[in-house]
Amino acid sequence: MNCVRKLLLARELSARPGVLRQLAPGLDLLRLQGSSCAQRFWPVPVRSHSKFTPAVKGDQEKDGESRDGSLVPLEELFDRACKGERNKAAFTRAVELFCQRDVRRRGHIEFIYAALQKMPQFGVERELDVYNKILDVFPKEVFVPRNFIQRMFNHYPRQQECGIHVLEQMENYGIMPDNQTKFLLLQIFGAKSHPVRKYQRLMYWFPKFKHVNPYPVPVPLPQEPIDLARISLQRIAADLSAKVTVYQMPLTDILDSGKEITQPHIVGIQSPDQQELLAHHNPDRPVFVEGPFPLWLKKTCVYYYVLRGELLPPGEKGEMLDSERNFYYPMHLDLDLDRGPWDDEEFDVDEAEEGPIFAMCMAGAGDQATLAKWILGLQQNNPILSQTPVVFHLAPGPRELLAASDSEPGEEEIPQSRRAQQEC
Amino acid sequence: MALSFKLMENVFLSSKCHRQNALHPFCGPLLTNCISKLYSSYRRPGTSPDNTPLWKMNFSFENGVDWIKKNFGLLKKELVDHVKGPEGRGFEEYFLEQTRVVWEFRSQKDLDEWVVSSDAEIGGKSEAYLKLGKNNQTALLFGTLSTEAPRDGETGYSGYCAIRAKLLKGAFDTKKYYDWSNFNSLYLRVRGDGRPWMINIYTDPYYSHQKDDLYTYFMFTRGGPYWQEITIPFSKFFLSSWGRIQDDQYPLWLDKISSVGFTLGDKADGPFQLEIDFIGLLNDRAHTEEFAYEKYERNPKA
Repeated sequence: MNCVRKLLLARELSARPGVLRQLAPGLDLLRLQGSSCAQRFWPVPVRSHSKFTPAVKGDQEKDGESRDGSLVPLEELFDRACKGERNKAAFTRAVELFCQRDVRRRGHIEFIYAALQKMPQFGVERELDVYNKILDVFPKEVFVPRNFIQRMFNHYPRQQECGIHVLEQMENYGIMPDNQTKFLLLQIFGAKSHPVRKYQRLMYWFPKFKHVNPYPVPVPLPQEPIDLARISLQRIAADLSAKVTVYQMPLTDILDSGKEITQPHIVGIQSPDQQELLAHHNPDRPVFVEGPFPLWLKKTCVYYYVLRGELLPPGEKGEMLDSERNFYYPMHLDLDLDRGPWDDEEFDVDEAEEGPIFAMCMAGAGDQATLAKWILGLQQNNPILSQTPVVFHLAPGPRELLAASDSEPGEEEIPQSRRAQQEC
Repeated sequence: MALSFKLMENVFLSSKCHRQNALHPFCGPLLTNCISKLYSSYRRPGTSPDNTPLWKMNFSFENGVDWIKKNFGLLKKELVDHVKGPEGRGFEEYFLEQTRVVWEFRSQKDLDEWVVSSDAEIGGKSEAYLKLGKNNQTALLFGTLSTEAPRDGETGYSGYCAIRAKLLKGAFDTKKYYDWSNFNSLYLRVRGDGRPWMINIYTDPYYSHQKDDLYTYFMFTRGGPYWQEITIPFSKFFLSSWGRIQDDQYPLWLDKISSVGFTLGDKADGPFQLEIDFIGLLNDRAHTEEFAYEKYERNPKA
């Protein structure tokens, strides 16, 4: 029995540094623990390494009330706190519940790991103040090393790993920590600890790579299909002078007879260079409508269609003469940048060539009728389309950018003039 | 885009294979299933190690004769090239060149120089395939990415696919390196679908402790039907190892490059595709930056 009491006393002394100072050196420690320490310690549960904590009867129960002793998993703590809706308020309430339950925050590591796992379910994985609240769960100043031996030997390694996991989840979602995070980490783990080092790395590398994308995707991405189509078409056109035209707005109409017609949206883009190319196109040769091709914007995939012509054999290629060309001296020199006419930056390779692209569009539905409406809309600015046969190479699902020659499921050649007569 | 995702980048451990085969340098290539050992010593958790003894492995006489012929041919070519100039090119070309095409994809032989891998090796569900594009003019890397992590108890994240150039081998499987010291930028002609890729450059690790370090940078594709010409100066590549960016940064040394790779791991589930026309090098006279990151010691001991 004596050894058990000594163990309990030792635990008490390690947890509360002030106790040693209270006991005068002459007093017998073993005699002291006879009445007071034992009474203080027996009701406290043994530290467990599982995810189970004592149950809480209601949401507002305080620590002073008696516990019924049944074990409830941490996940249920979150479920009980949310009361139906899973949002930021419910999550913060669950975290606060845990903090209020015990001053010493027993089982805080398991709770923090469970909280990190639950964050996507509650939709709070991109909120910085929620991460700060989770870091607040750690007891402060307990894990700060106080002498050189503790500093040498990775003081409280499990807690440091847990802190690193919190920061790693922040890093995965691309959230930059702030001053509050820094002060919390310094208070909990002390300077030169692993979580603080990781925080310093985040603060060093994130600003360096924040603006490294030359084609940034707007955040947040618009949900409206027309705006999304406008942004993505401007991105792939690679030409600032390209014009976006909305040929058809999305409509859901209910006719008098009760039948429902839905009109998908059609948004097209064409730049002046593409218009010129189409004007020079030989109307005897067909033009092809190909698609749908995928385009990824962060995590959304949108599909676009392309109007392009065939690659002409080198003999038949039309000469696009630039009226201002000059054989005798270069028209443009970059001498400021140390580049001159002696620089040869051409690669000794035949680049992959493909037919010219005349226009691009994005539509709500990928069937031939919708895209035919797009061609009709394009005809207004490009009259040559009325005489050119249009061939539709449409795939039922997304296809690769260049598998046009292999399989042609939806091919149909319709001369535009005949179709126009049919519609009239 | 997150900097550190747990990639299994140690696909190649040729130095380790050479140490294993030190005792039988001629037996190594005779073994028909040596290829898997050459490129990876990773073993999926739960599988037993492959401990077949040497006398049980298949030896093939024809393969041996082919191997001898091939290697003596390579040796002769090397000796002749050494007389001609650096790497078989004449001195004029070496001193005056400003652009060089390193990899172009015009035939199946060009595709065989690359190795495709995805997280299917660690038990994930992504797929990646490499094939020739239309008119045999490009290489198309396509497949599906899935971020579902394999449930083996030790993998936390998943969802990547990678393509890497095979290591250059001289006569009798000696290690050879590319010498790109004449150039200062990497030039790529690609057509992606808007996904961000990472380019990795593997250099010769003088010490075996450094065998996992590689220099990375991002390649952001615009998407769309137009070809995209990307120029990345070598001064922008940062040092990373096992998917984690290192504290002490050093500039990339161009005189001993072993291979180049592309990785996709942008945590978006779904199909992807990337078309590569060619990969070249460029000496951009206008680019004077030596290194884009600070070289001072990040966590000083004092």
